[in-house]
Amino acid sequence: MDYTVHDSGTLRELEMRGQITFEADTDFRTILGEWETAGIADCVLNLSAVDYMDSAGLGLLVMANNAARQAGITFRLKHPRGQVRDLIEISEFHTIIPCEF
Amino acid sequence: MSGGSPVVIGHPRPSAAGPLRDVLGRLGVRRVAVVDGDGLAQAVAEATADPPQLLLLHAGLPGFGPDLLVGLREMAQLRDVPILVLGRFASGSRRAELMRAGATDLLARPLTLAELAARLSVHLERRRLDRSLQEVIRSLHAYHHGAMQRMALARQMQLGLLPDAAACRSLEGRYGIAMDSHFESSSELGGDLWGARPLDDRRFALFLCDFTGHGVAAALNTFRLHTLLARTDLPADDPAETLRTLNGLLVGLLPEAQFAAMIYAVVDVSADRLVYATAGAPKPLVRQRDGGLEVGPSCGLPLGLAGGARYRNHSLDFPPGSTLLLFSDALYEARGWDGEMFGYGGVTDLVRGLGDDELERPLDLMLDRYFATVPRLLADDLTVLWISRSVGPRSGPD
Repeated sequence: MDYTVHDSGTLRELEMRGQITFEADTDFRTILGEWETAGIADCVLNLSAVDYMDSAGLGLLVMANNAARQAGITFRLKHPRGQVRDLIEISEFHTIIPCEF
Repeated sequence: MSGGSPVVIGHPRPSAAGPLRDVLGRLGVRRVAVVDGDGLAQAVAEATADPPQLLLLHAGLPGFGPDLLVGLREMAQLRDVPILVLGRFASGSRRAELMRAGATDLLARPLTLAELAARLSVHLERRRLDRSLQEVIRSLHAYHHGAMQRMALARQMQLGLLPDAAACRSLEGRYGIAMDSHFESSSELGGDLWGARPLDDRRFALFLCDFTGHGVAAALNTFRLHTLLARTDLPADDPAETLRTLNGLLVGLLPEAQFAAMIYAVVDVSADRLVYATAGAPKPLVRQRDGGLEVGPSCGLPLGLAGGARYRNHSLDFPPGSTLLLFSDALYEARGWDGEMFGYGGVTDLVRGLGDDELERPLDLMLDRYFATVPRLLADDLTVLWISRSVGPRSGPD
């Protein structure tokens, strides 16, 4: 996995690319660590360029969502495609993390 | 530091070995045995139980030569012991001959005591490190062996959670079905669990669950679920309610970011119907008698994530001659030799491809074809259930 950060005021959009699996764990922890210091109020995970996510990847979304809640940051997902969209729909993840399809 | 095992000095005049003893003493060697040519054999024989850490032979020892070194090296207790030879060596070829015969190093005289101490120190230290390394390797071997035994036992316990052959045959007879399953963990233990149990004479329940991750942690969660499923107060004939109840029990029990995808189905052989609910599980697949495939819907939060989650019942026709295929996501998320994901489309193609074979239990054939395109070392646990309704009358009680 690989990602680009776009900040606009207190909104941070993270554009994710590649695969979100167990291997993305370190990147996710880095992302969460940076929230605190950057004064972010809203965070959007843009998934349009993610071509694969497994259940461990879903687990990372849960972890990020919980961390956001604790930090008082709103957290949402955007534009999942293909297998990632299927997985989010099957798992109804949009019912616990707001998702713009 | 170099105490413990003895250093054996073979010297033609043991009484003249004082300086050698002193040097070894200063290097911390507490046990030194000095023997002459005759005493060497006995010293070596005694070494069986307590091998020396080093053998220092004076080249003037009666009988000393390549043959003596070869003989010493053949003894099991001396195979790895450094053998140093102290003396004057006439030629390069003589030195080479002694090294070939088994000498570890040659200490050519003249030699100052300081030089001798330095050379001995290197060999004693090397021997000590070698012994420590052997000890570490031995203890790792022992640990590994023990861990493998414990894992094998745990694996047997995990397999014991699954319906055994007798339970499957009993369901087959009672409900007029043929049932086949495949359970393969990506490591010794896995995070998948499946089960089937009778509800009454026309209905039985079936489930397949896949916890996040794999290995020991995921396997422990399968034991938790198995225990919860044994509760008699589950609404076992209502899939959505069963999932809702299990979810309520698992929330708070599972650590953060651990959850389970599960499908729970009730097959009614009188109504020719299958009612099921899913919690983040792969869509079930039904193959009708005419070969047509129906992919059932699937939606629902995985178990263990949110306390108030609700699940929905879905219904599929399941008449005699049709087949139900349930599987964990590993089946389609696995990558083929070409690096491409097998995909859900790959699974439907595989099932369609079995259409003409007229086998009652085609799961083995299906998996043979599957593993011809997907490498056997799966990254995730794989469970596949194949349930066909027989066309003929049921043999069991009605």
